[in-house]
Amino acid sequence: MSKVLQIAGREFVATVFTKAFIIGLLVFPAIVGVMSLVGPKLFGPDPNFAIAGQLAVVDPTGEVTPELHSALIKGTPAADLAAVIRAAQGEAFGGSVLSALGAAPKLTLVERPAEVNLEQEKAWLRVEDKDSPHLALAVIHANAVEPKPGETALGSYDLYVPPKQDTRVEIGVQQAVREAIIGARFKARGLDRGQVNDLSTVPRVRSVTVSDSADRGTVGGFQFVLPLAFMFLLFMGVMGSGQGLLTTTIEEKSSRVIEVLLSAVSPMQLMAGKLLGHMAISLLAMSLYIAMGLAVLTSFSLFGLLNFALIPYLLVFFVLAFFTIGSLMMAVGSAVNDMREAQSLMLPMTLLLIVPWILWMPISRDPDSTLSVVVSFLPPVNSFGMLLRLASSHPPPTWQVWLSIAIGVLGVVGAVWFASKVFRIGLLMFGKPPNFGTLVRWVRDA
Amino acid sequence: MSTTGAAIELRGVTKTFGGTTAVANLDLTIPRGALYGFIGPNGAGKTTSIRMIMSILFPDSGELKVLGRDSALDAKDKIGYLPEERGVYRKMRVAAYLMYIARLKGVPDKGLSERVSAYVARVGLAGVEGKRCEELSKGMLQKIQFVAAIIHEPDLLILDEPFSGLDPVSMRQLREQIIAEHARGATILFSTHVMQQAEEICDHVVMIHRGRKMLDDPVSSIRSRYDPRALVLEPLDAGADVAGVRALAGVESCERHEGAYNVELEPGFDVAGAISRIAAALPVARIEVKRPRLEDVFVQIVTDRGDSADAARALRAELADQSPQAAI
Repeated sequence: MSKVLQIAGREFVATVFTKAFIIGLLVFPAIVGVMSLVGPKLFGPDPNFAIAGQLAVVDPTGEVTPELHSALIKGTPAADLAAVIRAAQGEAFGGSVLSALGAAPKLTLVERPAEVNLEQEKAWLRVEDKDSPHLALAVIHANAVEPKPGETALGSYDLYVPPKQDTRVEIGVQQAVREAIIGARFKARGLDRGQVNDLSTVPRVRSVTVSDSADRGTVGGFQFVLPLAFMFLLFMGVMGSGQGLLTTTIEEKSSRVIEVLLSAVSPMQLMAGKLLGHMAISLLAMSLYIAMGLAVLTSFSLFGLLNFALIPYLLVFFVLAFFTIGSLMMAVGSAVNDMREAQSLMLPMTLLLIVPWILWMPISRDPDSTLSVVVSFLPPVNSFGMLLRLASSHPPPTWQVWLSIAIGVLGVVGAVWFASKVFRIGLLMFGKPPNFGTLVRWVRDA
Repeated sequence: MSTTGAAIELRGVTKTFGGTTAVANLDLTIPRGALYGFIGPNGAGKTTSIRMIMSILFPDSGELKVLGRDSALDAKDKIGYLPEERGVYRKMRVAAYLMYIARLKGVPDKGLSERVSAYVARVGLAGVEGKRCEELSKGMLQKIQFVAAIIHEPDLLILDEPFSGLDPVSMRQLREQIIAEHARGATILFSTHVMQQAEEICDHVVMIHRGRKMLDDPVSSIRSRYDPRALVLEPLDAGADVAGVRALAGVESCERHEGAYNVELEPGFDVAGAISRIAAALPVARIEVKRPRLEDVFVQIVTDRGDSADAARALRAELADQSPQAAI
């Protein structure tokens, strides 16, 4: 056992006390922190952006253009336009539209006759005008305001834009034309739009989560994001150290230090030591991230929303997933000569580990579905599936959790058995990299 | 299987890889305290045999005992091993690497740092303990790897091609260290394809070819068994007529070779008497017994065992490529 611990200790020290590990460990929280500060500036609306140019309108109804004119051309302040959009779309979506629109548009409306030649009008879009660029041509349908006789369906409009048009301009024009058509429809029916909006608006309320300790405002999306956060931790822990096991095994094999080690320890001792060392590395990283997560929850007074029983479960399922994936990674590392050769053998494992990410949404949304139950009993993804279900709003019954753990243990035994056979033979095999069939033959021969 | 005090005992050990037999029915007994040379051309099966002795590979059939145990796994702390394909953790510092290997070999922590420094100094590398392994030259690394093999003072030391890649000075230093380990009491099994090295160090030679043992004898026994019947003759006058020598009784041939003459005697003829008669027949600057080269012995054995003349020639060419000519 002491030799196993010696190997584990060396793996831990050789990895943890490197700049690459420290940087790698801190880079994710650093990126999140930087993005939370810089993101709004990078991806938010540009306050200096304004739609400026000419918008041509073909309006056979004759009712939309005045609305568009009054909304855009007569120097309507941005605040008024904002109010219109808010009234029409509600605070949430309207806000995003306004953000996308930015400052109030400075449009010149070019009114075209109803019986115009459309192709000629389209050609107008290709005419360059640096002072007042030709932004778009809106062709209002004849039935956009009033339905055709004998019909109930209302029409819309066609929008033509020049090539390489700024998306923000297009969104702004679409929004303006849409508002104008709606305004014309209200006016045609003698309705007060503001009154209709008032009548059709019920403000959204924030629910209150009733817990054992105290009632608190529900945090939108918390129950949705929590399973994802736990799966991310599990994935990071398994893949981070799995990758480490793969690369260190390949390095030891290619640098030929492996035979020196095998003169001192058995292949099983070497494998066990490496697994333990890298598991400790992952646990260190996960502990740091968990501590950071708890600190964030505390700072937002959300500490009580987390079910702390999830953390031991996270550790149990991490150990199961780590030993399964990690031992298989070591088997691959021992069988190949370099990282390039490892790619083909890694592909099935990588694809397997993508499955939980694909199934995150359906499992979180319906943790008791047949799919969710099957995934939580199917190694090696059962750890991910069960953890997603445990962290969801409707955790599974305890017997299912224990059954999943038992199946996970069997998966570990199988994976370690297979990996140890491949590891023992693969370590001293050089030359042509094996395919999956060769690995199976090694297992039979070992 | 006997339970004598042998350091290594192999009985009928066979190992195949796919359709290739790497080692076939190998019997080998190496007594404790011996210094054995394990020789043969590349691909003969030496490394496979050693890996089986070390329990890194396992035989398909046969029995094996190392230091009285059924597996080297049970005696790894008493075995030092310098593999042919050797490496280090390049980013590790020399002292840390040696301490790590020593701990894996069961050396206690107490006094380990001092032991590492002493061994590093012993191979002439005092002061490199703090350097990273990647900063050392190939020759220096090889010495560090040798230290890693002996730092736990093993009872059995197995060295697979220990001199490959070393310059003559380093080679001599390493030879002295091997002899010192032997003097300490360690049993040494030393594999090489350079037969001269085996001759210089070992007192017993095991020859292996195509996985089969061809020879297992003390060097002195080989000398007497393959008694020479060839002389090297250098006349005082380089242009002297050697017809008189050719006419002597017992002389089979006398052919010019590299500024001298090779004199072949008839089988069983008295060598000392032939030397006296040649010296009487012709003024000589030098006349001596042409000692058989180890590779000659090896090729002769291979040929005697039924290999074709072409195969023997190919083997001789292979050995000539690999090693300086060695005489026993």
